[in-house]
Amino acid sequence: MIFSLFIENFRISLSAVFANKTRSLLTALGIIIGVLSVTLMGTLISGLDRSFEGSMSWLGKDILHISRYEWFSDMEWWEVKNRPRLLPEYVEKIRERSEYALAIAPVMQRGASLAYEEKETRTEIFGTNEEYMETISTNIGKGRFFTSSEDRSGSRVTVIGDGIKEAFFGEQDPIGQYIKIDNIKFRVIGVLEKQGKFLGLFSVDNQAILPLGAYKRIFSRRGWMRLSVKVPEEKMEDSVDEILSVMRHIRGLKPNEKNDFAINQTKAFESQYNTLKIAIGGTGFFITMLSLIVGGIGIMNIMFVTVKERTKEIGVRKAIGATNGMILGQFLMEAVTICLIAGLVGLFFAYISSLFINKFFPSTLPIGLSIFSIVMSMVVGIVSGFIPAYKASKLDPIDSLRYE
Amino acid sequence: MTLISLKDIYKIYNVGGEEVRALDGIDLAIRENEYLAIMGPSGSGKSTLMNMIGCLDTPTSGIYEFEGEMVQVMDDAQLASIRNRKIGFVFQTFNLLPKATAHHNVEIPLVYANIRKEERLKMASDALESVGLADRMHHKPNELSGGQRQRVAIARALVNNPSILLADEPTGNLDSRSGYEIMEILDLLHKKGNTIILVTHEDDIAKHAHRIIRLFDGKITEDIEQSF
Repeated sequence: MIFSLFIENFRISLSAVFANKTRSLLTALGIIIGVLSVTLMGTLISGLDRSFEGSMSWLGKDILHISRYEWFSDMEWWEVKNRPRLLPEYVEKIRERSEYALAIAPVMQRGASLAYEEKETRTEIFGTNEEYMETISTNIGKGRFFTSSEDRSGSRVTVIGDGIKEAFFGEQDPIGQYIKIDNIKFRVIGVLEKQGKFLGLFSVDNQAILPLGAYKRIFSRRGWMRLSVKVPEEKMEDSVDEILSVMRHIRGLKPNEKNDFAINQTKAFESQYNTLKIAIGGTGFFITMLSLIVGGIGIMNIMFVTVKERTKEIGVRKAIGATNGMILGQFLMEAVTICLIAGLVGLFFAYISSLFINKFFPSTLPIGLSIFSIVMSMVVGIVSGFIPAYKASKLDPIDSLRYE
Repeated sequence: MTLISLKDIYKIYNVGGEEVRALDGIDLAIRENEYLAIMGPSGSGKSTLMNMIGCLDTPTSGIYEFEGEMVQVMDDAQLASIRNRKIGFVFQTFNLLPKATAHHNVEIPLVYANIRKEERLKMASDALESVGLADRMHHKPNELSGGQRQRVAIARALVNNPSILLADEPTGNLDSRSGYEIMEILDLLHKKGNTIILVTHEDDIAKHAHRIIRLFDGKITEDIEQSF
């Protein structure tokens, strides 16, 4: 029947908390902020994880990106600025020498304006070859990709992203229609499937892909180019070694010369991302601990005040038969109740915020972390409520009854 | 049958290096269904004696037996249990919990006694009915008059069917009419077989009791049985 005492204590706690609403709220603020920060941090990381996974699969885990510069590098700009450009001819050279390369796509990229009838938009256009589709994770949603003969002959055909299709054609069938890219007519032959945003930053659905032949002829012979090489996923390391030596051979580098190109993989993103995650997690953890400590001290302080205020009540309760343990339980319960309510309030705000955050990038409030944060706030209640409750339990009943 | 037996009880405080004998060799036996008044000027030790009898305090030396159990060797939990089951307190200032209803105030000792909820509710209602507050059960103390509050306190004291009722100046904060009503209730309880111990300095109140002991400087100076 200890249960009925528990219920009674909980009832006393609730009425005490709600009798002093302002005081309880101010006391609980530290815990509310603590729970809010730890759960929001979790939400943020879960969202980042999800969008990172998606983005990495878009980049392709089995794709080597050969380009002039490293994606993430601590080299000085002057060390790399004179590196020679990559050339379209490398595609054939790599194909001849490499065993692992399953598909090789040269990719050139620039901004351009797209127009259809009255509608116009600025977007990125890509010039590449027929193997491009094998180096990205997206499929053709409608129509087809261009062929190698269309590439070689410089046909003015294009495959557009889902975003462009929606903006220009809506429900209308875009296949066979002509759009203008920087005022030059291209025939739409395919549409990519919808993909979403890269790292939650920019949409990859607004793009147009052209055969490299037409791209070079019309837009630029010079400019940025990278090579995307698909290799067997289970032989990544061997493949990197092989492509590295093939590239060094193509570039005619001597053994003592440094690489004048970069082979990038999604792994580079991963280590950058993990650093970011640790930074966010660490900051969140720090804020959480700080606000919980401050909150815990606040709870302890207010519990001392409560015990003082209710000295007479403690005397009465002892006179009518409460043991020290029952008084201890009552005040401990009160501290835990404040913290529990604060935790739930914090969680409620975190939930509302997570819905809001979700509008900008997909994320969820992790359930495990939510439960953990509630347990954690109750632990704060127990730890900070113990000394005041112990003090209350040890009060002398006669002195307490006389206390005014 | 002897309910309470105090033998050679001393309570000695050390105040500023000086020895104060609040109780200075008390011998007292209280039988079942006695109606006893403890009188004496302030500082005479009557409050200390009442706290001792009520098991709120333990003697410095001497033997205190409550229904044959040795009180002076009990720990805090055992004392709390005796107070809960065997003793009902009525205070001068009522000492009700202000945020709880009359009914809940009366219910609290039963919570500490681990009695089941349905039983608790019924016992509390019965106790309030017996003091004539059936229609005021769900009022809070600040919605009740002084006399009504004291009646709630008596109901709370009685709810566990204690062996003794300890009333410390029960009419001290009441007007004469309410005080009279409270004394009527105590008289009635005595007639029903309860043992009642009153602490008072008013002769009018002490007159209700059948036995009066007077204290002075921690010693019993007078112990008279009154006949009616």
